[in-house]
Amino acid sequence: MSELQGLGAQLSEAEQAGVEIIAISPDPNERSQQLAEGLRLGYRFVADRDLAVSRRFGLIHARGGPDGQDVPRPATVVLDRAGVVRWFSVSHNFQVRPAPGDVLRVVRSLVAEKG
Amino acid sequence: MLSVLVALGAVATYVLFLGVAVVRNHPEGYVIAFALATGLAVLAVVRARTRRWPAWAALGVTSLLLVAGAWFNFVVARVPDAPTALRVGEQPPDFTLPDAAGRPVTLADYRGQKPVVLVFYRGYW
Repeated sequence: MSELQGLGAQLSEAEQAGVEIIAISPDPNERSQQLAEGLRLGYRFVADRDLAVSRRFGLIHARGGPDGQDVPRPATVVLDRAGVVRWFSVSHNFQVRPAPGDVLRVVRSLVAEKG
Repeated sequence: MLSVLVALGAVATYVLFLGVAVVRNHPEGYVIAFALATGLAVLAVVRARTRRWPAWAALGVTSLLLVAGAWFNFVVARVPDAPTALRVGEQPPDFTLPDAAGRPVTLADYRGQKPVVLVFYRGYW
């Protein structure tokens, strides 16, 4: 989650309004919502309870969970206004996330693009 | 005893600065610190003339941390590579998922509206 905090904290209000950040996890929504309120982030938290969407994206770490269940591979995907993937990063070590600066740079350039 | 300080310092640094990208994104740092601490402990064991047990205890603690840390970083935390459905320059699969209030969120609805960042994550990590 720390990557979300970093991203939100570094975008200006205008920039935040110009981009939609959707956080996808198999977590029950209530916990995500509490987290969102706690951090006062303007993100949409959506629940992929059965991992169907993570699976469709090819982002499953099979039996990677603490109880041997499937879990999502941590990933960040940036889409432009046309819905086309412009940048993405998939983690090879679940401790590691993309550098916030990399994501910010892409997001800022896309927000600045005329729609 | 310096060796134990180095090892514990590495643990504290990693936990305290988990929110700092540079520290979080270089988890091998704590493995290196544990290796350094183990090296210092070996040195202490070799150089201790009397009362060797504190040095041996330090060596025990640091080598245990080294093995555990290396195992966690290189085995447990590793996410196997697998082909994804993502290609730069292409549209990803569409989806509709419920948000925290139960309202459906459809990715395609943002097309022509604004850029979107999708963050896939597992729980709190």
